[in-house]
Amino acid sequence: MARWGMAADLDRCNGCGACVVACHSENNISTVGDEQASRGRAKHWIRVERYWEGDFPDVRLKFRPVMCQQCDNAPCEPVCPTYASHHTEDGLNAQVYNRCIGTRYCANACPYNARFFDFFNPSWDKPLQLQLNPDVSLREVGVMEKCTFCVQRIRGAQLQARTEDRALRDGEIQPACVQGCAAKALVFGDLEDPESHVSRLARSPRGSKLLEDVGTQPAVTYLARATQV
Amino acid sequence: MTQPSGSKINDDLLRPLFHTSWRFFLLVAVFGGIVALGLSTWMWQARNGYGITGIKWPVYWGFYITSFVFWIGISHAGTLISAILRLVNAGWRRPVTRCAEAITGFALMIGATFPIIHLGRPWLAFWLAPYPSDRLIWPNFRSPLVWDFFAINTYLTGSLLFLFLPIIPDFAVVRDKSTGLRRKIYGALAMGWRGTPKQWHRLETAMQIMAVAIIPVAVSVHTIVSFDFSMAPVPTWNTTIFGPYFVAGAIFSGIAGLLIAMALLRKFLRLEEYLLPLHFDNLGKLLLVMALLWGYFVFNERLVTYYGNEPAHMAVFWRTQSGTFAPLYWTMVTCNFVLPLILLGIRRFRTITGCVIASIGIVIGMWLERFLIIVPALGHKYLPYSFGIYRPTPPEIIIASATFGAMCLLYVLFAKTVPIISMWELKAADHLPAKHPHSTAKEQRLGDSHA
Amino acid sequence: MDRRSFIKLTAITGTSATLASCGNPENQFIRFLPDEDIVPGVAVWKPGVCPLCAAGCGLTVRVMDADADVMRDGQWGIVRIAAAKKLEGAAGHPISQGGLCARGQAAIQVTYHPDRITQPLKRSGDRGSGQYEAISWDAAIAEIVQRLNALETAGTQRALALLSRGRTGHRAVLTDQFLSRFGARGAVTYQLFGDDVLRRANGLSFGREQLPTPDLANTRYLLSFGADFLGTWNSPVAQAGSFGHMRQGRPGIRGAFTQVESRMSQTGANADTWVPVNPGTEGVLALGLAHVIMAASLHPASAAGRAGAALDGWAGGLANSAPAEVERITGVAAARVERLAREFAETRPAVAVVAGPPLAHSNGLFTALAVNALNALVGSVEQPGGLFFTPQVNVAASSKAGGTAAASGASIEELAKGALGGDVPQVLLVDGANPVFTTPKAWRVRAALGKIPYIVSFSSFLDETSILSDLILPDHSFLEGWSEGAPESGSLSAVLSVAPAAMRPLYQTRATGDVLLEIGRQLQRPLNLPWQTFDEMLGATFAALPSATADVDAWTDAQAKGVWTGTVPGALVTGAAAAAPAAAVAYAEPVFDGDAGQFPLHFLPYPSSAFLDGSLAHLPWLQEMPDPLTSAMWSSWVEINPVTAEKLGVADGDVVEVASGQGALRSAAVLSPGIAPNVVAMPVGQGHQSFTRYASGRGENPVELIAPVTDSATGALAWAATRVKLSRVGPPDGRLILFAGGTREHLEEHR
Repeated sequence: MARWGMAADLDRCNGCGACVVACHSENNISTVGDEQASRGRAKHWIRVERYWEGDFPDVRLKFRPVMCQQCDNAPCEPVCPTYASHHTEDGLNAQVYNRCIGTRYCANACPYNARFFDFFNPSWDKPLQLQLNPDVSLREVGVMEKCTFCVQRIRGAQLQARTEDRALRDGEIQPACVQGCAAKALVFGDLEDPESHVSRLARSPRGSKLLEDVGTQPAVTYLARATQV
Repeated sequence: MTQPSGSKINDDLLRPLFHTSWRFFLLVAVFGGIVALGLSTWMWQARNGYGITGIKWPVYWGFYITSFVFWIGISHAGTLISAILRLVNAGWRRPVTRCAEAITGFALMIGATFPIIHLGRPWLAFWLAPYPSDRLIWPNFRSPLVWDFFAINTYLTGSLLFLFLPIIPDFAVVRDKSTGLRRKIYGALAMGWRGTPKQWHRLETAMQIMAVAIIPVAVSVHTIVSFDFSMAPVPTWNTTIFGPYFVAGAIFSGIAGLLIAMALLRKFLRLEEYLLPLHFDNLGKLLLVMALLWGYFVFNERLVTYYGNEPAHMAVFWRTQSGTFAPLYWTMVTCNFVLPLILLGIRRFRTITGCVIASIGIVIGMWLERFLIIVPALGHKYLPYSFGIYRPTPPEIIIASATFGAMCLLYVLFAKTVPIISMWELKAADHLPAKHPHSTAKEQRLGDSHA
Repeated sequence: MDRRSFIKLTAITGTSATLASCGNPENQFIRFLPDEDIVPGVAVWKPGVCPLCAAGCGLTVRVMDADADVMRDGQWGIVRIAAAKKLEGAAGHPISQGGLCARGQAAIQVTYHPDRITQPLKRSGDRGSGQYEAISWDAAIAEIVQRLNALETAGTQRALALLSRGRTGHRAVLTDQFLSRFGARGAVTYQLFGDDVLRRANGLSFGREQLPTPDLANTRYLLSFGADFLGTWNSPVAQAGSFGHMRQGRPGIRGAFTQVESRMSQTGANADTWVPVNPGTEGVLALGLAHVIMAASLHPASAAGRAGAALDGWAGGLANSAPAEVERITGVAAARVERLAREFAETRPAVAVVAGPPLAHSNGLFTALAVNALNALVGSVEQPGGLFFTPQVNVAASSKAGGTAAASGASIEELAKGALGGDVPQVLLVDGANPVFTTPKAWRVRAALGKIPYIVSFSSFLDETSILSDLILPDHSFLEGWSEGAPESGSLSAVLSVAPAAMRPLYQTRATGDVLLEIGRQLQRPLNLPWQTFDEMLGATFAALPSATADVDAWTDAQAKGVWTGTVPGALVTGAAAAAPAAAVAYAEPVFDGDAGQFPLHFLPYPSSAFLDGSLAHLPWLQEMPDPLTSAMWSSWVEINPVTAEKLGVADGDVVEVASGQGALRSAAVLSPGIAPNVVAMPVGQGHQSFTRYASGRGENPVELIAPVTDSATGALAWAATRVKLSRVGPPDGRLILFAGGTREHLEEHR
């Protein structure tokens, strides 16, 4: 059984935001509009966090893409009263929209604030609905949604490999953010396979996990931006 | 100060049941209107989407959960206090227990609606209950919300039973004094009470069992409510002190709620002869003890956080202590600690008015306490990029406020249909060897004492 | 007979009797038939070309079945169509190499935009009122033909003008051919953030009048003067890819990166060393580095050759550019100048790039020449890890356009001046440009367009310029027709992107290329353009190119892959041009509009990450994408240094008024530590008056503050040469929408 993981190389990431839009496009995330965005309802399953350090003129800026970390020890899972948030066999934190009753407890428990709530029924001004991805279900009002590691692509590739009677190749599965990243800052793959690209990056001395001390055992490794000597 | 005699008790306490003034209708109309407003706002929310509230990323709990914890807290007034007072046989409790127990029942009912109001999809709330489903999906018993579901239901059932049992003899009195439909209804409620020694004996035993059983339930309920927070890895939530802290806070706010209710009943139902300054004085002392206890818990919780000096915790700490939420925080400290210490600690101020002012302050302060536990922490969780500030919107304020109207409405209806002071217990006190309300002498076995 | 026509035929014959009385029975049925063979739920991947900027990235378009409300044969109906679902960077494309920027990801919303113009429109109300009525294609084309014939009859062919964004590739060649064969004046091209200064400088320094391709993947030291090469400049996807490789793609080697600018851009945020510099003095710093390199004999002055000779005092070792003098002018400490010079000269290979604000001053050409000479001095031109120029296919030659090459047109400023002064074009064709939004107010472009009696637009949206047009002939979206791109940079070998339609048109639109060819045929004196259709023109080009795959001709191969890349046959290479300048260029102090006493701050409008020059503000995904630096969505803002803000009494989010000699606007202040205290910056893109439901009436357009200062040598707009003053108006009023809460990761010790 695979264990899906990701590596984000902060030395490659330049903060462009392509992953953010790629994710919207792949996962049918509705835009909420200015009024709702101003009330904190924008949904970005992946966001590029930026942090300033120092003051002018000795100022630095850091970017860090943050998505659901697909924790091994996920705080969102035990708190869900209906099993809408649960762990799959291949280590994903699945969110079953149909089972969600909207307690939002999972989002409170998530240390990464990676979960987003649908405050209204999503709508698309016609004919923008034609861009919707039929492989990803739409969410109705009152449910939680979040990064799935593009589970539809994972399942699609697994099916494809099974019909072709072969094993999955490393790099065959690319979530939308990974696929779109021009700088190749994001790498996705199987952490169980020690030879996979993502496994090798996860062992990098530059690697660390986000909020490691919270004990969530995330599946995303961040490779620190190197400092020039 | 003498206790009123048996027939006066009947006259005074049954008056509201048999005489309906325009004031009753006015009150029902006003409070009913408030409740209707709250309900329609909630329907609007369910229909349009949760977005009409001020809830946002990342502060996903706000007014509703605050109100939920608040009302569950208020519910600790009654049953818990009345059970303890019964067990220690504090004689002065007699006029107080029923209105306290009623608070419990109603506050729980109101509190329990909030988890449903706050759901994104309230029409699916029944998924919290374990019911036989052909999909074989049960609720997740690891979730504190499911624990809440069971705890609150248990407490509600127990409290209603605890409230109902001692009303049975009084229902019988009403039955005997009325005719027609009313007689039938009260007859059914009296459950065939004839006041036989055997029935009295059974009632006494049942009361004793319930009093013993309800105390751990009450303690566990608010502990479990505190688990909603302390089980999540949210800065300042994930702490062991929350259980006792919440229970203490609940009793604290509960007594304050009880005092306010007693003062109102005393005034409107003209029960000056039953609810004596002595009762207020005693409950005021209890409130003072709870204020000190609350102060101790807050000090504990704050100091430990401060010494722990975890960056994420400190961010929330300073946000409440001197940041955005400081005005609310210091209002809370004033209402919950400074004010009660002055008004209840100085004997001269511990009058009925003093008690009521302190109680109102405490109710406000305790509501703020829950708000300050929930909101600042959620808005300041680890990653600064995702920090956010929550502001309630009118629909949330209307719904949260309407529950106070609901409390009043239920109370008015209750006072209209049930003698608000346990008549038989009052009368039983007449037969006691020592009439002093502080008597702790073992109560004599009660005979057929009602008229 | 294929399956489709069989079904049609059976359906029609079977029921034609019943429908005989309902008009044209065939149409009734055809509109319910699926467009093509689509298997529900199965995705097909087709090539595409991103149209949003000139980079020409290759796309892979995911096409699946969808039910759409479309018009077929004049009737509306719900039809199962093959619809584009997702755009991805094409893996084998030499520019995009699998990646795609945020804007490219959102390009699909151009096709499905709810406010797209769905059919030809003729103005029915006053100009600018946005009132139009439907008109048929035949009638519309007849109307233009009649107008052009009238010019022909009157002998005033020069009264036809065309305004475009300066596209490269076949579309540009076709319009040029159309204009020159008709006898019109040359096409007027305009882009607010155009790179004309840099192209001119490259022509002077290296004989290549085009944008450079820095070989970041192989460089070890990158020195960038203001170039936002990871965000908005040139070929950001290609550059982001090679920058990633420069950082972490070579085991044990990590390229260093220094950025020189006065406001930290998204690109500058990635620099190891960030060097703030006084606006307009970047060239002085470049010469300062050159001075140190020459003085320390790290490289001789002669090494720079022609590029050095273009600069005054170069041969003499740039005596005026000693570090102390550089410090005085640029504000960069002398010791730092020395250190940068040594790093640049001693790390091999190293490359310097310049673009953006440094060139948007009155001395822009000097700055570009100075950086070019610096590259030449250390031998970084056409060397691995240095500056390259992507070989260009001469499209006019390859497509066998024949005829005379069109004369280069006037600038938009001259066009406007002419129209206001009496030299009024009688017919203006507008192709993709929106000068009303992107030109300084002082040029009075809107008033000038008002003088032109007949304006035709090919726009798909009603923007500030197309709303002034009398006739709108909407183009297909890039997914519905042939799309092409001739990338000017981003690859070391020549690239032409091309793709057939990924889906059938949703509306009654027509490819502009085909429309121009049709007009050319219908004129009383036909233009005899050598192609019947636009794809025929594309086919001609690719037929002239060598195929990359054996056994398949280049045209078939390119259509399948979405790209052609390889060696350009000698006859088709765009030649080197531009002689060295007569006189060497010297540093001149930048000219700023506005008195420094009255307007103490430099104003820096910059292309926003989401909208570039504002042409993408209509896409909701980009509106809701948090800005990389401020996390702002759906809004405009002004960036101010916290020290300056404190002096002016401005707090984060406050509403402020920014005023220049040209005008004033109000926006929300964002306190940013990454901007010099004497500079305020504003992203361009918002502030549209008319640009679909998502962009209209949102935010402020900083272009309205820009003074008409131009680069003295090229005449290009010096958009960073305006001075402003700033004052607080009031507290935050909700106009600024931020996604993020905190700006710093480590919360400082509390007070």
